[in-house]
Amino acid sequence: MSSLSSLIRNENMKIYRRPRTWLMIAFLILSIALMSGIMKWDSSQNHSRDWQNDLTERNASMQQELQENKELSEEDITYFTNEIMLNEYYLEQDINPDELSLWNYVSTSSSLIMLATILTVIIAADMIAAEFTWGTIKLLLVGPASRTKIMISKYIATLGFALLLLILTFASAYAAGGILEGFDGTSQAMLSITDDGVIQESSYFLNSLEKYGFSVISMLMYVTMAFMISSAFRSSSMAIAFSLLFMLVGNTLSALLSGYSWVKYLLFSNIDLTQYMNGATPLRPEMTLTFSIMILVAYYIVFQFVAWLLFTRRDVAA
Amino acid sequence: MTEAVLQLRNVTKSIGGRKIVDNLSFDIPAGEVFGFLGPNGAGKTTTIRMIVGLISMSKGEALIKGVSVREHFELAMTHVGAIVENPEMYKFLTGYQNLVHFARRHKGITKERIKEVVKLLGLQNRIHEKVKRYSLGMRQRLGVAQAILHRPSLLILDEPTNGLDPAGIRELRDYLRKLTREEGISVIVSSHLLSEMELMCDRVAIIQAGKLIDIRSLQEARDSIQSKIVIEVGDLLAAQQLLSAIFDVTRIKENGNQLEIAADKAAIPDITRLLVSAEIDVLGIQTVQKSLEEQFLEITGGEMVV
Repeated sequence: MSSLSSLIRNENMKIYRRPRTWLMIAFLILSIALMSGIMKWDSSQNHSRDWQNDLTERNASMQQELQENKELSEEDITYFTNEIMLNEYYLEQDINPDELSLWNYVSTSSSLIMLATILTVIIAADMIAAEFTWGTIKLLLVGPASRTKIMISKYIATLGFALLLLILTFASAYAAGGILEGFDGTSQAMLSITDDGVIQESSYFLNSLEKYGFSVISMLMYVTMAFMISSAFRSSSMAIAFSLLFMLVGNTLSALLSGYSWVKYLLFSNIDLTQYMNGATPLRPEMTLTFSIMILVAYYIVFQFVAWLLFTRRDVAA
Repeated sequence: MTEAVLQLRNVTKSIGGRKIVDNLSFDIPAGEVFGFLGPNGAGKTTTIRMIVGLISMSKGEALIKGVSVREHFELAMTHVGAIVENPEMYKFLTGYQNLVHFARRHKGITKERIKEVVKLLGLQNRIHEKVKRYSLGMRQRLGVAQAILHRPSLLILDEPTNGLDPAGIRELRDYLRKLTREEGISVIVSSHLLSEMELMCDRVAIIQAGKLIDIRSLQEARDSIQSKIVIEVGDLLAAQQLLSAIFDVTRIKENGNQLEIAADKAAIPDITRLLVSAEIDVLGIQTVQKSLEEQFLEITGGEMVV
């Protein structure tokens, strides 16, 4: 009987021995390099002037706005006051807020997790369907490993690939930031203002992790969906095409249909949890964080169950 | 007799009310090469795939070394090596990596064992090349290597010779013989080619429309081959009358302008003497052996696809 760990090693071999996988990884790293390059170029265009003078001017104009504009909302007032307070703190401590630190690169790289997600979705969609396309499914299944075990090993290998891409994204953004801005920014603290109006120093690292965390949740959902599609279709090109289609069209679709209340039950309406974070408004007013988490968990279970059912119960005849 | 390596008990597959495989039962003892013969669509492949769990059984049970495939799939499969149709391998891996892939699924296959099998099949020179550069014959050999790595008790081959050239078929055949003799492996082969089965198998099961028609030992079939004497004469009627004196009437058959007599060639001198003395013109006389193929065609009612 096969052990799960050796089955996972087999699946890993099938992922990493394919040149395609390394092209994907190269593409991801290249994209991060490109993003970092553009960020650097952009900032070098902007802050050639005297930043202290800049901040002072900005503060003055905000102050003026606060005093003269009587139609400002409560939110705007808090925002302006906080900004002014922060800027004064920057001037006091001699910190240039517009100067990029390595953490800006890491933080921005979290938007490239979308790319990592697309790449992992391609791998996931291929995971089961490709065995059918290659005709190797028969030899794979005729062995001392139950179908459930084979499926679990494939799913774990897929998650492993996702994790690798995440680590690579983080590491290459960190490296790019370090190379372009110096690694001495690593210990720099992130400044923000709490609700009580106190300036607070927090860790950039934790902030980046948080940004990554939200993207990872949507990544996990998309990848699990692709995995289910993979066990439904017996052709890898179909599986990849459908997975990418759902992923790319889904968000637009739920935004378009947000007028209807049933939209809140769609996967795509709940997949982005940042809609509940400070300041953002959820897709529909009645949606809450708990509600979305419950919907996501339900979808996750359904995806896994359907995938398992399709993979273990069907005859392999062709 | 030792316990059968494979036992089929009332194995049935029905799809949409139609029985593709109907109540198949048979045993295969250790060391036997067992053929599965039948026209295309008779249910050979379906049966084989039910044995290895690719297709679920509607009814019945298959036991491999006494272990039920349905209930203890993983354990039962440790005894099985299979080549289901053309062995499709991972083309982007080398031959060796493919073998490692299949070896990892079993416990205790050492590097030495892999090397041994590679050598046994004569693949050692190109085992580190990518499989996409292999010829069909080499892929077939790699397929056999994959199937025997874990020293199975039962080797299952589904239409193994599809797409192989005659030399490749011969190679595979010799190899299977060697395996059964040296390692005591039982083999099931399915094919629609009788000529192939004749050379490979000890026994064959003939199935048609999902039903088991007959199980025959090929050795017995060879022994019981009947021959007939075909005579071409000037006066058919006179010859028939004359010969009914020495042969039973049921053994004489008229076929066009020829007479067919169920007898072997030892009877030829008698027949000739008789005909010549009666001054009947003898235009030709020959013995014809009824081939296995004809025998099987008779059994399946002429539906054999050869």
